[in-house]
Amino acid sequence: MHPDPLTLYGETFDSRFLLGTALYTSPTIMRDALRASRCDIVTLGLRRQNPGDRSGDAFWQYIKDSGCKLLPNTAGCKSVKEAVTLAEMSREMFDTPWVKLEVVGDDYNLQPDPFGLVEAADELTKKGFKVLPYCTDDLIVGQRLVDVGCEVLMPWGSPIGTGQGLLNRYNLRTLRERLPNIPMIIDAGLGAPSQAAEAMEMGFDGILLNTAVAKAHQPPLMAEAFADAIDAGRKAYHAGLMERRQTASPSTPTIGQPFWHQS
Amino acid sequence: MGNHTESIGIAGAGLLGRLLAWQLLLRGHRVSLFDAGTREGIDSAAWTAAGMVAPLSEAVVSERPIYDMGLFALTQWPLWINQLESERTLWHQQGSLVVSHPQDEAELAQFHRELQYIIGSADGYQWLDRPALQNLEPDLSDRFQRGLLLETEGFLNNRELLNQLLATIERLGGECHFECPVDVEPNTLYNAERRYRFDRVIDCRGVGAKPQQPAVRGVRGEVLHVRTRELALHRPVRLMHPRYQLYIVPKPDHRFVIGATQIESEDRSPMSLQSSLELSSALYTLSPAFAEARIVEQSVNLRPTYLDNNPHIQTSDGLIRVNGLFRHGYLLAPAVVKQVLADVEGAEGTPFAPFLQRPLPEMSSAPEHPFRHSP
Repeated sequence: MHPDPLTLYGETFDSRFLLGTALYTSPTIMRDALRASRCDIVTLGLRRQNPGDRSGDAFWQYIKDSGCKLLPNTAGCKSVKEAVTLAEMSREMFDTPWVKLEVVGDDYNLQPDPFGLVEAADELTKKGFKVLPYCTDDLIVGQRLVDVGCEVLMPWGSPIGTGQGLLNRYNLRTLRERLPNIPMIIDAGLGAPSQAAEAMEMGFDGILLNTAVAKAHQPPLMAEAFADAIDAGRKAYHAGLMERRQTASPSTPTIGQPFWHQS
Repeated sequence: MGNHTESIGIAGAGLLGRLLAWQLLLRGHRVSLFDAGTREGIDSAAWTAAGMVAPLSEAVVSERPIYDMGLFALTQWPLWINQLESERTLWHQQGSLVVSHPQDEAELAQFHRELQYIIGSADGYQWLDRPALQNLEPDLSDRFQRGLLLETEGFLNNRELLNQLLATIERLGGECHFECPVDVEPNTLYNAERRYRFDRVIDCRGVGAKPQQPAVRGVRGEVLHVRTRELALHRPVRLMHPRYQLYIVPKPDHRFVIGATQIESEDRSPMSLQSSLELSSALYTLSPAFAEARIVEQSVNLRPTYLDNNPHIQTSDGLIRVNGLFRHGYLLAPAVVKQVLADVEGAEGTPFAPFLQRPLPEMSSAPEHPFRHSP
């Protein structure tokens, strides 16, 4: 058994890396990236594929065949009603109560609408869903989501697809420290493995991304790079980072150096 | 004319079916062409497509061999068009432009980076500043600060081309059966009414082959046709979009095609409002003069696609299956058709044979049950 599993809603996963399934050049390249990422959970969007008549089946079956747990999302939904309807449809289609809840507040940067998000999370939780909300890094929003029953939070690093990394470290650190028992997955905005490692070093429990891998020249190689960085960051978190200091402190003794070189 | 001529049945009268029928007739073979749809071919992906031959633009969203086959297309299409002796202009080659909305400038930079990565050199494209853009396309909105000119790209008047191909096939004595769906087995095309025997059959039914070829899937694409006399474009223009590239292609009679969405779905229902908004606002972004254009057509079709999004030719005794040209029909047809002709005649293949004749990608790789960890 892996010594450090990720536990979400009572299920455990070896990998702390969740990968999206959009934007790849082809399904086979997507599959190669999924394999290289060693991920256990993949997200998929169905808003635009006319889920009612299952016209996306050919593609979805291929994702299912990856063996990963499917996490349907409500990407593209702008209202509570839309998100709830789509979540119900995806529960039926994929036979899972898990949903990555997105309620888009702004069309251009796809920023979450915190008010709609809390309302939709409340409704879905009451209907028995296991909600993984894509939220901003605001503590109060996080608290409200937990209050309505979310057992996992997925705060952004920065807006979707921007690759800006962790834009507001202060907020993210606050969220982490104030809600220490809630698993948190940084979702969106990461462009480089170093950014993922940093988030893991800060004590976040996992990373979800899509664009940075899908848009790389070699998606499988980038997937592997992120997987390694996430592992490294997690190990560093457990090992304990040293405190930063203002002055240099030599790691070799200075005895033996002439006094004018000391100080 | 080759030494040995055959009777050949072709299932599917889209672009590949028509090109193959024409070329095989020219080589002295006896050809019968079958299609489930009408003579006009309005059900075929080739009819819905905008007819671009854009190896550089497409290189960015595909693999290197697609680019190489696309370069071949740029030399082959003018030869074929000459051979057709059409009275109307079917082929245009004045390059294409790539621009982005100021907010999507990063998408344009990414496009350029991909181009450099895949092509290696800076051959065939250059940055243009605003005056240069205005000089090339005066009717383009002047808000675009810069753009890429892809110098060699071309486009076809594709619907007229499909007409001309059919007329030529019939003139050369090809036998055509429209509204006559057929299934395929070696040496035979058949339906509930009849069986047709041939020395060889070629299956180019695209998504229509899916019942017999489950590895083929459809990828939905939506296009809008508008008409306006208020502006003119001399070449296709691509507009970067965070999810897919949109292109506007000028067509005869003051028509413009804008496409295409790319959605992993086999849904053929009419265009969604969201797609319609995206396509329309892209047009408006390119030039506000499109505001009063009239929407004359909204089309939806499925691109025939294998899991690797690449074309495949499968040759066996008495049967050649060719499919999976995805979003690259006009770009890849010359290379694919040349290779099929070589297969038919047992001639030396094209340089693309190793790529085109690879085995199909495997369909599934894991157990049926999608959940690795159960509660």
